[in-house]
Amino acid sequence: MTLFDTSASRRTLLKASLGVAATGVLTAPRIARAAGPDKINIAYFVGTSPTMIAKGDGWIEELTKAKVNWIEVGSGAEINTAVAAGSVDVGIGIGSAPTAAGLSQGIGYEVVSILDNIGPAEELTVRTSANIKTVADLKGKKVGTPFGSTSHFRLLGLLKTNGLTQKDVTVLDLRPDALVAAWQRGDIDGAYVWAPAKSKILAAGGEVFRTYDKLEAAGYVIADLIVARTAFTQAYPDAVVAILKAGNKALDVWTKTPDKAAELIGKQAGVTAAVAKEDLLQYDFVSPERQLQPDWLGAPGKGGKFAEVLQGTAKFLVEQKSIRSVPELAVFQKGINTAPLVKSLA
Amino acid sequence: MTAQPLHFRLLSLLSVIMFFAGWYAITALHLAPANLLPSMGEVVDAFTDILHNGYRTTTLSEDILATLGRCIGGFGLAALAGVPLGLWMGRSRALAASLDYIIQFMRPLPPLSYLILLILWLGTGDASKVALLFLSALPTIVMASMAAVRGVKQQRIQAALACGATEAQVFRHVVLPSCLPMVMTGLRISLAGTFSTVVAAELMAARDGLGWMVFSASQFLRTDIVMMGILILGVFGMALSWGLLRFDTWLVHWRGRE
Amino acid sequence: MALRIPLRAWTVVSALVLAAAWLTLTWGGFVRDLFLPPPDQLWDAFNDLATDGYKNRTLWEHLQISLWRIFAGFVTGALAGTFLGLAMGYWRGVAALASPFVEFLRPLPQLAYLMLLIIWFGIGETSKIILLFLAALPVSAVAARDGVRNVPAQRIHAARTLGATEWQVFRHVVLPSALPEIFTGARIGVGVVYGTLIAAEIIAGSSGIGWMILDAGRFLRSDYVFVGIILIGLMGVALNGALVALETRLVHWAGR
Repeated sequence: MTLFDTSASRRTLLKASLGVAATGVLTAPRIARAAGPDKINIAYFVGTSPTMIAKGDGWIEELTKAKVNWIEVGSGAEINTAVAAGSVDVGIGIGSAPTAAGLSQGIGYEVVSILDNIGPAEELTVRTSANIKTVADLKGKKVGTPFGSTSHFRLLGLLKTNGLTQKDVTVLDLRPDALVAAWQRGDIDGAYVWAPAKSKILAAGGEVFRTYDKLEAAGYVIADLIVARTAFTQAYPDAVVAILKAGNKALDVWTKTPDKAAELIGKQAGVTAAVAKEDLLQYDFVSPERQLQPDWLGAPGKGGKFAEVLQGTAKFLVEQKSIRSVPELAVFQKGINTAPLVKSLA
Repeated sequence: MTAQPLHFRLLSLLSVIMFFAGWYAITALHLAPANLLPSMGEVVDAFTDILHNGYRTTTLSEDILATLGRCIGGFGLAALAGVPLGLWMGRSRALAASLDYIIQFMRPLPPLSYLILLILWLGTGDASKVALLFLSALPTIVMASMAAVRGVKQQRIQAALACGATEAQVFRHVVLPSCLPMVMTGLRISLAGTFSTVVAAELMAARDGLGWMVFSASQFLRTDIVMMGILILGVFGMALSWGLLRFDTWLVHWRGRE
Repeated sequence: MALRIPLRAWTVVSALVLAAAWLTLTWGGFVRDLFLPPPDQLWDAFNDLATDGYKNRTLWEHLQISLWRIFAGFVTGALAGTFLGLAMGYWRGVAALASPFVEFLRPLPQLAYLMLLIIWFGIGETSKIILLFLAALPVSAVAARDGVRNVPAQRIHAARTLGATEWQVFRHVVLPSALPEIFTGARIGVGVVYGTLIAAEIIAGSSGIGWMILDAGRFLRSDYVFVGIILIGLMGVALNGALVALETRLVHWAGR
């Protein structure tokens, strides 16, 4: 049982010890700092994100010279659990809400990069026929969202900033697939979710109810992040740099040749190039250079504003009883490590 | 299962045919929206597609083997640990008093309630899934084995001892044969439970298995694959119950002739 | 045996050993609270839940909602299953028609058809209760069928020769003889329904003790998860005890 954070992942240790037993060859030098890992466990979401190009074309395998074990997940909570259990080294695309929860609970990982600023990509959709024009019109309605997600955080923020409570609006815990089903049946009048569920809902009698700009101004910024197990980054800093490099390169493909990128990403995500492009356009993919500015993660040693965003999110989660307590800002500042990102640009 | 007269078998067949005919009629006449109920043709297409190309990253046989492997692993370990433990608890009242409350508490627990803890403790791999099946199968096996030992008639043991049998001989020739029917019943019930729990085990952090396939297809609202998965799981479940019943009657041929 | 230790003492000793292990692991700093919460945290969590509730509902409401779902699903499923099973036991034609479905449904994992129930019956209480209903039905049906089939044929013949009508035979001979097995089936059925509760509460919620465990698990709130597990376990033990008591009162002739 890996109840403690060990320096190498359990599987690597097991494999190493098996290797010793079977062949009698001393494998100790493998754990040395300079060498790369044999295997990297990367958790990811199937979706329209430029990193899918890096995955599909095997860039990470190429750059790290390691075998990559791609683990598909459906929620950020799964990444938290898997990292805590020592089964995942790097998580790509985890939302800021689960990350804030993870850092508050002392899960041994660090934010190493921002994948995207979610912005309008996750948004409230309402049934056109329900005639919802103001936030107050949501009273007495049923709105679904996947609990624990960034969308959930935004939806509750919307209610709070408008003086509504969950007594006024029924908020239901629905996974994206169940949301679409419930929507099609007419069980709910609103949904706060991301693509592709969002697009399906819009196509089935829904319309966008714009909330994101006001919420962002009120501090409800949400983003998708890349996290790496602290012990993994310490043991294999070069592997983390290589993964970020692959990500930068993929982002380049998207910014320079969007159509080509959309086709590659669509193939990976199982949607057409047109759908992929439409989804991709909604996200603000923060470039590595921008991430290092004080507005976002900030340069190494000089914390950026994002630590405050994470702490704000954590405060909210405490009110929701999702986590026990909010740690000091320093914990979130320490939970952001931009050194590998700087190196990835070199 | 006793042999059924032919006309009853035909009646069963007829009802199955009626079911499929009803399904066909509903979809062919568009009585239900297509996204609510896939047509039989779609399900067959999904099946042939997955049979040839696999589902996403796995082949169908890999999924079946993964699921069955987890079942066998979890149930096998539970049987290996549970039968001796239960038999021992049946003999030793002290041991029973020490462990019974734990077993009683564990028995009604829905496995999904502690799945997250097992993943935290044992990781996202097969270890946590097998542990889930082990823990869900164990209480039934232990309780049945314990009850079986307690149910052995004391006169029989006394008689064997009076005839000069050793403790070991008594256990081997008197206690064990008398216990076996009930132990087997316990194993059968718990294996059936294991089969329904294995799908729960694949709900979180899985990458293969029939349950994973169904959940993953659900996420994309692929009702044709979901339907196909249900049919495969149902057929496997029926085969399992039937096989166990057969094995049981073969092994414990003295059941009911006490 | 010079010293005879009372059995209850063994239970106490084993519980003490368990508690000691828990204390050493947690307070001794061997295991992080994320993996296993220490007793004080667990107690705090329980108090917290008992006074403040969990996400807009009190702990009582969550428990009540879950109990209601179990009750509704089990009662409807057991009743329907028993009637179907009695008919299957009494008329072999009915058995031939129904058994393919009963045998198919019985070992089928309920989680597999969760999605279909959401699509067909929505995200409200209906689909949750139908899931529990479908879990209870085949178990009760098989028990009732076997109960009727195992009624000794002599008894039925004897009643018929004494001039009993078909209905009288059923009411006074078949039903009482089958009742013990029907009850055994009901107890197994409660167990199955109980084990399926969390699966049912996966369907859109924000209520029920099972949902609470799932939601707390998402944020790795192990303290709430443990409190939930303890509550759900104790509730299960109590439910089973109540059924056994009911059974001994109603079926006092079992085994005679």
